[in-house]
Amino acid sequence: MADTIITLAGVSKSYRSYAHDFDRVLEILTGKARHQSFHALEPLSLTVSKGEVIGVVGKNGAGKSTLLKLLAGTLQSSTGSLSINGRVSAILELGASFHPEMSGHDNVYLTCAIQGLTRRETDAAYDAIVAFAGIPDFMQRPVKTYSSGMLMRLAFSIATHVNPDILIIDEALSVGDGVFARRSFDRIMEFRKAGKTIFFCSHSLYQVEALCDRVLWLDQGRIREQGTPARVITAYSEFLQQQSAVVAPPEAAELATSTPSVASVNPGVPRVLGVAVRVDGRLAKVHTIQSCRNLVEVEIRFRAPANLPMPSVGVIILGGDGRFIASAGTVNDGVTLHTGADQNGSVTLQLPDFPLLKGCYSLEVYLLCERGLHVYEKVRQVAELNVEQKSLELGIVNLPHQWLPH
Amino acid sequence: MSFWLRLGRLCLDSLCVPIAAPFRHASLIRMLVQREIAARTSGTLLGKLWPLVQPGLQVLGFWFMFAVVYDMRNARGPSFLQYLLLGMLPWLCLSEVLSRSTGLFREFSVLFARSPFPLEVLPSVVVVIPGIVYSTVLVLTTGWMLGVVAALKAVLVIPLLLLWALPLLLLCAVIGLFVRDFGQALPFVLTLLMYVTPILYFPDMLPPQVRDWMWLNPLADWMTVIHGLLTGTAFPMNSVWRLAALWLVLLVPGWLLYRRTLLHVRELL
Repeated sequence: MADTIITLAGVSKSYRSYAHDFDRVLEILTGKARHQSFHALEPLSLTVSKGEVIGVVGKNGAGKSTLLKLLAGTLQSSTGSLSINGRVSAILELGASFHPEMSGHDNVYLTCAIQGLTRRETDAAYDAIVAFAGIPDFMQRPVKTYSSGMLMRLAFSIATHVNPDILIIDEALSVGDGVFARRSFDRIMEFRKAGKTIFFCSHSLYQVEALCDRVLWLDQGRIREQGTPARVITAYSEFLQQQSAVVAPPEAAELATSTPSVASVNPGVPRVLGVAVRVDGRLAKVHTIQSCRNLVEVEIRFRAPANLPMPSVGVIILGGDGRFIASAGTVNDGVTLHTGADQNGSVTLQLPDFPLLKGCYSLEVYLLCERGLHVYEKVRQVAELNVEQKSLELGIVNLPHQWLPH
Repeated sequence: MSFWLRLGRLCLDSLCVPIAAPFRHASLIRMLVQREIAARTSGTLLGKLWPLVQPGLQVLGFWFMFAVVYDMRNARGPSFLQYLLLGMLPWLCLSEVLSRSTGLFREFSVLFARSPFPLEVLPSVVVVIPGIVYSTVLVLTTGWMLGVVAALKAVLVIPLLLLWALPLLLLCAVIGLFVRDFGQALPFVLTLLMYVTPILYFPDMLPPQVRDWMWLNPLADWMTVIHGLLTGTAFPMNSVWRLAALWLVLLVPGWLLYRRTLLHVRELL
C-alpha cells in the first residue's frame, strides 16, 4: 500500500534471563542461545496507514509498552521485521533521553540530534520548543535541577516539535499542571488534524474510543482483537467486567478510598467549585431513595477562565463494584454552558423518577474541555445513592416502558 | 544464505557501519563532542584551547627532558627527539582511545538506556577528540622538525592508526562491559606495551635476540611504518602487510561481538 507508514511482520520481543552472568558472555562469543526467554510480545504482524490514529489497550503486562518501545526504537525486536517510513517521536518515559548533567538547552539539541534533526533544524525549532515548555529562565540550568513537571514539559515540547510523522503516546495526555495539560492535549489534537499517524496507549477507554480510528487490544503479548473503537472497546470493557468479578478493578478499589475533594487547584484552567446532590430538594452526601419515585439533581458549580473555550460537564453513575452504569454529558446532549462576569457558572443535571433499581450507587463529576475529551478535573464519589424498591423488578434499571394488552 | 555470502556481508558491515556512522549522525556526534569539550574546559581561562595545549605541553616536556636535560643529541645523534615524538604522539592517541573504550557503554548508558540513541555512533564519539587533537599536534610537530612535505604526510598517520585500531576499540568496549577489571588493567598493559615497543628507544638498541621477535608486536610495526612514512627512509612493506592482515583478521570478530553485544547492552545497563 502506498500510504503504509508502519509494517510489522512477525515482530516479537523476548527478555532474556541467564542462570549465570557468564552465560551471557558465552552466548555473545558463540552465538548459541544460553538463556531462558520471557515473551513480552508474541510474533505480531500489523500494517498502519499514514494518518491513522491507533489506540492500544490492555491490562498491565499485556505488552503495550513493549510494542510502543519497539516502534519508538528504544527496544530491538527479538524476531521479525519492523519497517517504519518516517520520523518517530515518542512520549513514553518523559525525560528518558535527557542527560542529567547537561543544561535544558543542550538537552534540546541532544534529543533533537538523537531524533535525526540537523543543527540548523534544531536552531529553527528551538524557540518554539522553549516557548511551548514555558521554562525560558531555566534553559541554561542542568536538567537534574528541574522539577518533574519541568522535565515533563520540556520532554513533551521536544517530542512534539521535531516534526514527527509518527507520534507515540503512552499515558501522557495529561502532562504537567492543568494549563500545560490542556496545551499538550491541544497539541496532540493538532497532530491528529494534520493527518499524522498516532499510537495512543491509555487506560482511559473513553479517550481511546473518542480519539482513535482503530484499536488494538493486547492480552498476554498477543493481539486479542483489533478493529473499530466501538467494537474493540466494548469487547475489552466486557472482559474487564468479567475480570472484576474475580478481582476488584483498580477503579473500584480507588473509589472506596477516594474523597470527594477537589483534586488540584490551577487558576489558569477551568475548575470545579462545588458539587451538590439533592434528592427531592434535600441536600446530603448520602441519600436513601426510592426507585422510580424521586428526583435526583446534581448541581455543578465551576469557574471557567475567559481565555479558554467554555468547558463541558459529565456525570457518571457507578455501581457498587465500580462498574459504569450510566452517564450524561453536556457535549453529547448539545448543551452549552455559560458563565457570568466573575467567570463562574453552574449547571444542574436532573434525573427525574430515578430509574435505577435497588442497589448502592455513587456519582462522579467531570469537568472537561469543550470537546468532552480532555479532563480538567474529576471529582470522585460526590454522593452515595442507596436505592430501595418496593416492587419486584429485576436488574439494575427500570426502562421506560408500557404494556399494550390486545 | 551461504557461509561465504554471510561472511562477505559481515566484512562489509564491519567496515561500513562504524565508518558511515559519523556521516549519518554528524549532528549528534558534533553535539556530544562539543559537550565533552565544554565539560572538560568550562570555567578555564584557555577554554577550548586546553585539549590542544595539553599534548603541546607534553611535546615541550619531551623536548626539555630529552633534548636539554639528557642531551640525547650527543648520545644518539640529532634525530632522537624527532624519533621519540613521531612515535609517542600516535601512541598517546591510541592509548587514550583504547583506555576510554573499555568504559564506552557505561559512560554513555544514561543516553541510550531509555531512548532511541543510535549505539553505532559510540566508537566515533571516543575517537573524534583524540583524533583531531593528536593529528593537529603531530602535524605541527612534524612540520617544525621535518618540514612541510612531512607535515602533509603526517595528516594521514592518526586517521590510519585509528582506523586500524577500530577492531581493537570494539573488542575493548565489549570486554570492558563484561569484565570491569579490564578497564582497570588496560592502562598498565598499555604502559608495558609502550616499553616493549621501540618508542622511547631506537629499535637497534634492543638486543639482537629480542629484535628478532619484534615482528610479533604490531605496534613495533606501526612505529616502523610511521618513521618510514614521515622521515622518508625505506618504507617497510612487510610491516604494512602484517598490520593489514592483523586488521582484517580482527575486524570481523570485533564487529560481530560488538554487534551481538548491542542486542544485550540496553537490557544489561
